[in-house]
Amino acid sequence: MRILVIEDDKVAAEYVRKGLMEAGHVIDIANDGDLGLEMAQATDYDVLVIDRMLPKMNGLDVLKGLRASKDTTPVLILSALGEVDHRVEGLRAGGDDYLVKPYSFTELLARIEAIGRRNDPSGVVANLKIGELEMNLLSRTVKRNGKKILLQPREFRLLECLMRNSGRVVTRTMLLEKVWDYHFDPQTNVIDVHISRLRAKIDKDFAVPLLHTVRGAGYCLQE
Amino acid sequence: MITNFSKIYKNTLFRYSLLGALLFVLSLMIVAVSVYYATVTSELNRVDKLVETEHSEIQKIYDENGFQAVEREVTLRTASSEGLYGLVNKRVAIGNLFFQEVTKEDGELPLLTGLEPNEFNKVAFLYSNPHSEENDFKDRRARALVGPIRTENGIAAILVVGRDVEGTMRTGLKVRNAIFISSHIALILGLISSWFLSKRFTRRVDAFNKLADDVRLGNLERRAPRNYSHDEMDMLAEHLNGMLDHIERLMKSMKYAGDSVAHDLRTPLTRLRTRLESAAIKRENTEDAEVFFSAAEDANGLLKTFDSILRISRLETGEKRELLINIDPKTLLDDLADLYEPSCESAGLEFIAITPKGHIIKADRGLMSQAVSNLIENAIKYTPKGGKVKLELLKTSKGLVEISICDNGPGIPLADRERVKSRFVRLDKSRTQPGNGLGLSLVDAVAHFHNADFILSSIDNHNTKRPGLRAAIIFPKKNIK
Repeated sequence: MRILVIEDDKVAAEYVRKGLMEAGHVIDIANDGDLGLEMAQATDYDVLVIDRMLPKMNGLDVLKGLRASKDTTPVLILSALGEVDHRVEGLRAGGDDYLVKPYSFTELLARIEAIGRRNDPSGVVANLKIGELEMNLLSRTVKRNGKKILLQPREFRLLECLMRNSGRVVTRTMLLEKVWDYHFDPQTNVIDVHISRLRAKIDKDFAVPLLHTVRGAGYCLQE
Repeated sequence: MITNFSKIYKNTLFRYSLLGALLFVLSLMIVAVSVYYATVTSELNRVDKLVETEHSEIQKIYDENGFQAVEREVTLRTASSEGLYGLVNKRVAIGNLFFQEVTKEDGELPLLTGLEPNEFNKVAFLYSNPHSEENDFKDRRARALVGPIRTENGIAAILVVGRDVEGTMRTGLKVRNAIFISSHIALILGLISSWFLSKRFTRRVDAFNKLADDVRLGNLERRAPRNYSHDEMDMLAEHLNGMLDHIERLMKSMKYAGDSVAHDLRTPLTRLRTRLESAAIKRENTEDAEVFFSAAEDANGLLKTFDSILRISRLETGEKRELLINIDPKTLLDDLADLYEPSCESAGLEFIAITPKGHIIKADRGLMSQAVSNLIENAIKYTPKGGKVKLELLKTSKGLVEISICDNGPGIPLADRERVKSRFVRLDKSRTQPGNGLGLSLVDAVAHFHNADFILSSIDNHNTKRPGLRAAIIFPKKNIK
């Protein structure tokens, strides 16, 4: 993907650039809001990463400017302001996701990839399939190797979130946000317990595990 | 109306001004009583003395000149003075009383019923003189002395000497009426002025109370209303406003400092963590990786602590309280129960959630979820295997909505229950457990933000080893729909 990072902290921007390049993306960096808006309008990016506090033009104004000119490029907002109302403000201005500093790089990457994919035309689907694992979103059933697996509603949503992002890392924070709609970090490994329950249902009786733990990052569902 | 009155009666100013009015009425009464005494009572005393003197003069005439002289004297006095006289024995009946209708206020005059008192009696009676040419001759009040004219060994006759006191009595009545009317008017005026004064005063005090409430709820930009009259209330308003300006300035600079620190510190910390992470990923599957991963985790923990402090500070300023909306605590707690039930199970704890329908509270879902999640995590962390964790939603006996988390773990000693709500306080027993000592202070801050009470208590005091802990968040009435 071609990604524009609008971030005034040059060192942080450099690390983000390096990391995203290693993950196989093409990165441009703008160090202030004015330049960022100009670049975003000149080039067709797949994802924009915008810091909320920027010199010359505030991140939210950049975003509002883009949305006013009918630009629907997915935007991830970065901010040091972590309170819920700031998040809501950011999403209301047209952001697709909101990440609070300090974020881990894996978190950032996972979120960029998750929103970048939304541009795919195949967004609305009735079936999700990873290897032997099939999920029907209409009948809300899950099968592996043709064998039906019974899931609790919350487990279903958890699996759906992982399947929609299959092959990509989904962080614990992302799961907590998307499955439970919580925007705080619990002090304990509460998500891990849910994952191990889910794993017991989808992986236990099969030779090849699908649900993998990614050290220091989160989980990944892949063949 | 009654509650209205009891409300106004509680008003200090109303009480004082009412007391003032009552004291005024009392002094008015004292003045009136002395006027009454000076006019009426002293006049009546004069009349009493006069008739006594006359009686003894006539007795003296009898002693010196005999009964005929007395008859002459009484006839003379009847004709020449305005007095009322009656001299009666078995032979004669002289005086003007016998030509008039005389009734005693409480019965017949003893004189006229043929009784023969040999003691002196003061009597008050009514008389009418049908022969009088005056207009108001009927039922005039009079006072008299009825007594015997004594001989050496008996009674020669009964003599009545009296005076018309109608005029004096009427003056008395007028004075009494004047007292009655003026004291009532004074009392009513006093009540009205007290009511107006206290209303006015209360309105201004209420404005201060509302201001204090608003400020406590986080509306730091509110100011006391002023009328620039420079009276004491206006000066109070001016001083309060000055104080609020100062507080607002301090809060703003603190918030600004907080936000700058947040921005300035988090950015390098993010970099630190990113470096550690990428170092860890590069060395994946080597021994070094472990060191880098745990260093990244430590950096993460540092940032989380920092976040919690900022979050608590912001909650304590009470900003953004207007974000509170009506929510059903059942949904909130069911979601949390759903999140934590597996953790309890894997920790070998029994988890019970009792969440009845039908309660509505004014709250922020995110903050309340975090607070309750902290409490549940504490319960899971400290309750030994085989224990029980209970999440309960209930209505207290006072009708307040309460969310409580109970466990049968080691509990918190009574002496430490307030202390643990402060930042960074960790009890010795918990030092071995992971945590930063901010969990309960965050819960406390969230509770305060909702104007709710956060109360820690034990469950079973008899079980000294495991008294358990009950952590309750009790919502105030005005936040309950």
